[in-house]
Amino acid sequence: MTEVAFVAFWLAMALYAAATVLYGYQAFTKRASLSWFATFATGAGFVLHTASIGLQSTATDGTELTGANVLVLMAWALVLVYFVLEHLMKVKFYGALLVPGALVVLLVAQIMGASRGVLADLTAEQAALLDNWRIGIHVALIAFGNAGFAVSAAGSLLYVVMERQLKHKKASKLFNRLPSLTQTDKVARRSVVWAFPVYSAGLVLGVLRAIETDVHLWWADLRVVLAGLVWLIFAFYQFMRWRKGWAGRSAAYLCLAGFALVVVLAIAARTVPAGFHVFGL
Amino acid sequence: MHLVLVGLSHKTAPVAIREKLTFPAQVQEDALNHLSRIEGIREAVIVSTCNRTEVYAVAANEDAGVDSVIGFLADYHDLDRHELARYLYIITGETVVRHLFRVVASLDSMVVGEAQILGQAKEAYEHGFNADATGRVFNKLFRQSFEVGKRVRTETAIGEAAVSISYAAVELAKKVFDTLDGRTILILGAGKMSELTAKHLVSNGVARVLVVNRTFERAREMAERFNGTAVPYERLYESIREADIVISSTAATEYVITKAELAPVAKNRTRPLFLIDIAVPRDIDPGANDLGGVFLYDIDDLNGVVESNLEERMTEAHRAEGIIDEEIAAFFAWVESMEVMPTVAAIRAKAEVIREMELEKALKRLDLSDVDRKTVEALTCAIVNKMLHGPTARLKKAATGKDAYEYMEVARALYGLEDSEDRSGPGAFRNLLNLRAREIMDRRKETEDNVGDCGA
Repeated sequence: MTEVAFVAFWLAMALYAAATVLYGYQAFTKRASLSWFATFATGAGFVLHTASIGLQSTATDGTELTGANVLVLMAWALVLVYFVLEHLMKVKFYGALLVPGALVVLLVAQIMGASRGVLADLTAEQAALLDNWRIGIHVALIAFGNAGFAVSAAGSLLYVVMERQLKHKKASKLFNRLPSLTQTDKVARRSVVWAFPVYSAGLVLGVLRAIETDVHLWWADLRVVLAGLVWLIFAFYQFMRWRKGWAGRSAAYLCLAGFALVVVLAIAARTVPAGFHVFGL
Repeated sequence: MHLVLVGLSHKTAPVAIREKLTFPAQVQEDALNHLSRIEGIREAVIVSTCNRTEVYAVAANEDAGVDSVIGFLADYHDLDRHELARYLYIITGETVVRHLFRVVASLDSMVVGEAQILGQAKEAYEHGFNADATGRVFNKLFRQSFEVGKRVRTETAIGEAAVSISYAAVELAKKVFDTLDGRTILILGAGKMSELTAKHLVSNGVARVLVVNRTFERAREMAERFNGTAVPYERLYESIREADIVISSTAATEYVITKAELAPVAKNRTRPLFLIDIAVPRDIDPGANDLGGVFLYDIDDLNGVVESNLEERMTEAHRAEGIIDEEIAAFFAWVESMEVMPTVAAIRAKAEVIREMELEKALKRLDLSDVDRKTVEALTCAIVNKMLHGPTARLKKAATGKDAYEYMEVARALYGLEDSEDRSGPGAFRNLLNLRAREIMDRRKETEDNVGDCGA
């Protein structure tokens, strides 16, 4: 079963790679026929990706929450969130950013999986911490929260590029292909509206579990501190947007900063071997 | 078959001549009837738009065909033939196909990439079809030209970017706001250009129009035209707060909207503000573009966008030429298949394949000496030749007649020379036979060998 999961995983990556090329090409040529193939390749990749996770989970008697596996789940959540976005907004341009994003995450997971340890290396304290239903939901919520932040970052990035093009009056080919300024802003705003409570719930579950198992100085862990910072940035973003009517470039930059911290956290969580939150490194 | 095109367009004739040579929808049938009655004209279609009048014809003889069409144009519109000839272009043979495809793909239009021509060409063809002036060649040629038009529009971005100032403003507004539904525009000044731009914006969904002018009466007149609201000049900045798009075109010599006065308005906004300044001298301080969420385009900026879009259309036009080349090749492949000699050769090649297959099967069952084998082989050849001699001779004779293409098509259908779309059962077998027949024909071409074993 592990072998089948392995094959499904690589096939999913190949399909995501094909979708990346197709989304990129169609974004610059606006060929409707290609966009259908791009969506199809992503969909087929997603099905295989799901099958791979399911088969691997069955083979190992439940998904091991190692650094690499969590990345695989994050990529899965990102593709799923992208599909929802494509369905709701009817815009495929974001596929040119988000599908390659998911592919990169999977590649990193693959590289990590080949070089890092497994949960068998955990200390008794860490194993006890993980042995609870809350942790699975905590990881899933964080994965979906991060996926939402990734979408909002994609929207913010496109906003910044589009705003620059409009300010400098460049009617380039890229300008003609980019989604409108209002739409990119809307994608960023709505993604955070959706991702922030999910991420918050994920953090709350993690904190509850840490308190429950009485982990010494859990709040001083680097990953917890960074996650707290991510939460603060997006809380500030939400506050400024809804209370102060913030919009435009400043909001986009703040969103990009928040996502940059998510990336730093993802790297730190898998590379810094200190603190209680170092599962499967 | 001789393809002939005689016509004039914005490139060769001034509007004073073009307007004399139009064929509006109500006269098309009559004109086509006249044209079809001319000796030697087998098929005809007249494409008549504000920028071109072109008569496409299939003629028995090229020179006579051209002469007949010029004569028809002059007579029908009561014009001097020699005077008219100065403005006409005459295209014959394969170039007619390229020209038509380029016209329908909008590569020959005054504004490259405009969408109207495809519909106009369809209408022209429908007139020809309804007047019974089209036949096999034009039915195929024009229908294929519509495919070319569609492919060029869907596979290239030739018609995407705006190439007029007012449309460029609308396109830019959509780049800012995505959709103009429910938006508010403010028209500052009562110039013609701002009115035209406002009209385009309103037709694209703008819900509310505010008009500000130094003379309130003029503001009210314009507001009435848009079912909008006239606002006193003193309340200009208040109105900007409400607006999403401002179109300014006053005759003022100083800036009417300054950066300093706009800054507080821009600061408290939660949505972008798009300023279109089409006045010369400019009405809006260019520094306003530096304010967050404010996008200012003056007349030069809009011209720049138009030029850039035109350049992009030219690049896309180059890609469209590639599509046209492909379609021309497909059309002439069809034409070739409709010629008599390839059809006769295909019939013979197919018969040869069947003869060989059946002979092979029979010889396997019989134990014959070499002499007997040769006798049986000669017998099969003789049967095939005699069976085909009559039909092929009559086909060759029919090729010179008016109904040549009908004959060819019927012959190809009866002998099953076109590949079947059915990929299984008898369709698959027919395709296999055709494939082998084509191999035989290719071999013959390569070796310059006249005929196969059976000779004909």
